[in-house]
Amino acid sequence: MRRSLAGRIWPNATAVVLALGFVFPVYWMFSTAFKPTRDIISKDPVWFPLHGTVEHFATAVNAPNFWQLAGNSVVVTVLAVGLSLLIALCGAFAVARMRFKGRRGILLTFMVAQMAPWEVMVISIYLIVRDADLLNSLLPLTFFYMLMVLPFTLLTLRGYVAAVPRELEESAMVDGCSRRQAFAKVVLPLLAPGLMATSLFGFITAWNEFPLVLVLNKEPGAGTLPLWLSQFQTQFGNDWGATMAAATLFAIPILILFLILQRKAVGGLTSGAVKG
Amino acid sequence: MAVQLDGAAGRTAPRTGKGGPPPVRRGRAARGAPYLLLLPALLATAVFLGWPMVRNLVLSFQKLNMKELIQHLTDWRGIGNYQEILGSSQFWRVTLRTIVFTGANVVLIMLFGTLIGLLLARLGKKMRLVLSVALVLAWAMPVIAATTVFQWLFDSRYGVVNWVLDRLGWHSMAAYDWVGTQLSTFFVITVLIVWQSLPFVALNLYAATTTIPKELYEAARMDGAGTWKVFTSVTFPFLKPFFLATTFLEVIWVFKAFPQIFAINQGGPDRLTETLPIYAFTEGVGNLHFGMGAAISLLTIAVLLAMTAYYLRLTLKQEEDAL
Amino acid sequence: MKRGLIAATAVAGMLMGVAACGSGGGKSADGFKGHKLTVWVMDGSNPAQWTKQVSEQFEKKTGATVEFKVQQWNGIQQKLSTALSEDTPPDVVEIGNTQTAAYAKAGALADLGDLKKEIGADWSDAFNKAATVDGKQYALPWYAGNRVVMYNKKIWAQAGITSLPTTRAELFKAFDTIKSKTDAEPLYLPGQNWYFFDGLTIGTGADLVKQAGGKWVSNLGDPKVAKAMDVYKQYQAFSTAPKNKDEATPQQSEIFAKGKTGAIIAMGYEAAEAIKANPKIKDDIGFFTIPGETAAKPEGVFLGGSNFAVAGMGKNQELAKEFLKVALSKDNDAQMVREAGWTPKSPALAGAAKENPAAAAAAPAAAKSGGTTPLIPQWAAVENVPNPIKSYMTAVLGGKAPADAAKDIESEINARLAKQ
Repeated sequence: MRRSLAGRIWPNATAVVLALGFVFPVYWMFSTAFKPTRDIISKDPVWFPLHGTVEHFATAVNAPNFWQLAGNSVVVTVLAVGLSLLIALCGAFAVARMRFKGRRGILLTFMVAQMAPWEVMVISIYLIVRDADLLNSLLPLTFFYMLMVLPFTLLTLRGYVAAVPRELEESAMVDGCSRRQAFAKVVLPLLAPGLMATSLFGFITAWNEFPLVLVLNKEPGAGTLPLWLSQFQTQFGNDWGATMAAATLFAIPILILFLILQRKAVGGLTSGAVKG
Repeated sequence: MAVQLDGAAGRTAPRTGKGGPPPVRRGRAARGAPYLLLLPALLATAVFLGWPMVRNLVLSFQKLNMKELIQHLTDWRGIGNYQEILGSSQFWRVTLRTIVFTGANVVLIMLFGTLIGLLLARLGKKMRLVLSVALVLAWAMPVIAATTVFQWLFDSRYGVVNWVLDRLGWHSMAAYDWVGTQLSTFFVITVLIVWQSLPFVALNLYAATTTIPKELYEAARMDGAGTWKVFTSVTFPFLKPFFLATTFLEVIWVFKAFPQIFAINQGGPDRLTETLPIYAFTEGVGNLHFGMGAAISLLTIAVLLAMTAYYLRLTLKQEEDAL
Repeated sequence: MKRGLIAATAVAGMLMGVAACGSGGGKSADGFKGHKLTVWVMDGSNPAQWTKQVSEQFEKKTGATVEFKVQQWNGIQQKLSTALSEDTPPDVVEIGNTQTAAYAKAGALADLGDLKKEIGADWSDAFNKAATVDGKQYALPWYAGNRVVMYNKKIWAQAGITSLPTTRAELFKAFDTIKSKTDAEPLYLPGQNWYFFDGLTIGTGADLVKQAGGKWVSNLGDPKVAKAMDVYKQYQAFSTAPKNKDEATPQQSEIFAKGKTGAIIAMGYEAAEAIKANPKIKDDIGFFTIPGETAAKPEGVFLGGSNFAVAGMGKNQELAKEFLKVALSKDNDAQMVREAGWTPKSPALAGAAKENPAAAAAAPAAAKSGGTTPLIPQWAAVENVPNPIKSYMTAVLGGKAPADAAKDIESEINARLAKQ
């Protein structure tokens, strides 16, 4: 396509400005984490951590129970996301591929379930868990996190399932597969990008959750990482360096997960999702 | 929050696609199959969402303050909580503010998200990668971390934003208090939320545009359509389901935005930036009036339902047509 | 009475006395063997040496062990109120002195009247007031402190100031001198140092709430409050600190640590934070009492601190009381003063205060003009985030007339006071 010089420059220029705008806060978090305190609170911003230090990371990692909480976070998040994918996949298949009574009602239920005000429901959940004598356990946490992501996962996967051409499945069945085999061998691989994309949402949600774990798991070793992250902002003032270092550590697993899954998710989707 | 790459695009598939639900063999077992498949999801929802919701509903008719909580007392108030909330002008102010706030943010997110998505489609390979990675980084930044950084960026004395504005010659901004007034606080919150939400829309939109058959564009260009015309006649109609689904999700997410608003200024100054979720939290959990909080949270769902009613009806209607 | 006598011996005998108290305290030493007591303390409250010696003494005395669970500030109210509702609540909890009334009224705390008589006969009223509700003792004061002027000796010397100010006028004159003779900021005071402001209202004799029609309502429109705010404004005029932030964002000690600040209105422990941020500042730090209008009476100060309370539903209440006897013994109280710079709560601790310059500077004001926020259970709600009084302060500093600024937030305060 013919484009003038200006026509070629402005998209690139805009893209550079935008990229900087999106990256800067992330960069600022990383760089602040490495700066000595006197450079953090400074009249003129220190753009690069020239006198780099890892003392803030030491503070963050040496906080009590860090490794225990990190372990809890991983367990709860992985279980919650895994369970919700499994349950949602079954449901999504039914909603996308089968006709039955009450289908619209069920869809509406899940759409509305996305609107649940979890922050305020904390106290009802607390009362339930307290009366069931399950405080300070990872079990309720796992299940409630699972439900925080389930409706979204199910509705999203439903789109992916519907996008898999039915002929593929049918031809597999003609070849002698049972419906279940057809699903496992033909449909499931095609759903991989969808599963990855939705699991990202789940990971972020469960990884970040704060209000619920705050009241459910008050034993020092029973919490998750958001509790650890919040402790550097205290009544006596914020330890910005440690907060940023902790935030950096907190963000890294998600960032890595994103960078790994992102490309596959995009590639997979564009090849088969929106069939005109 | 926003993390469902391509999900929305995926969701649109059944509507743009030709097939409705399938011609299935209708044995007895087959008739039970969908229910069986849905059973775990429905059961889990009933137990882990339905039960707390019912409990929440029950609480909304009670007075449950610190005393009742600690001493395990039950003090019925009937519809007293609701009367008090609906009778207070504050609730209505907050509701209106929430609707305006959500509307403004969603419009900004959809508008700029679309523009960036289209820009991505137009960029060369390298530049596209650079911008995509930047978007992904912003997107993946955990909400708690992002809000902390933004507080720091907009700090009045040590914030980078004021420093830059000062250097650019706007000296009155050198120590500007961003969270001092309602409007400027909302500005900071909006920048934060839009910054966090754009990647989702932009990347999804870009992914979706790649599925539009090239022939459609060529045909439009042959008819002499300009950029705008191509968008309105090809891109937009083709991606309409995508726009609807994404707008629906963004409405829910912006409306429910909690840590962003709370961390920036706790709903201040003077509670002037409280949206409904913050209002419910401050009244209920913060001030330990859990019954009131429960009542507000239920009213909040009602408002959100009203805001999304159009989309919900549309979707259900399409489902009906498809059957 | 016997136990009281023994407690008195403990004062004299310090460490040894505590051991004696254990064997003579009525309960046999092994009565609690194998028990474990859970104590919630806030992050930053319990100094290392104090914790060590209290744990050892407690174990020695009762045979039981104590576990200190350090709590983060974020969301503490939700955590504490839910924890106190559970079947096995923490046995002993630290509660902010101004929050105590609310928890007591909610029926969460055990009556400690006898214990107070036994171990706290000589505690100053300013300390103990905030542990009582309607005349009943629901908690025991653990520690409290008040603000002092923390100044940079080097800068003050540079400005040629040789004697420390004893009146407000002298203090302001000193700030002026620093401003004209050095390039330092004379005072760093953000607009929302609410507890300093509360001290000023104590100084002018203002009440923040009043009773009207059987209900507590805001009294922020009172001219005495406006007068206190005017004093605050005069202080704040010496500072370029943000008017919309409190002293914790950013932490004022870290700003002081840069060595470009003449003074801050600070708690004693903030010196340690400054030294942590910049070890070189150590020798430059000095303290003096915030001067009042006259040299005879120091400026009013808010006595902020914490009480220990025993959970009303706790299973180990007897043991919890034994713990408090140890934790609040004279020598452990003295350790809090020495180690953390808290204000001495009885004349017997004056010796310990001499060893800590911050505590020494704080003591005169606490004794002569110390006070707290209104001690009514509803008050805790007023201070909940977002604290409307902070908005009031920012508004007045921004140029609004105090009466108008008060009017803007009074309905919010009243609404919070009205909710039980």
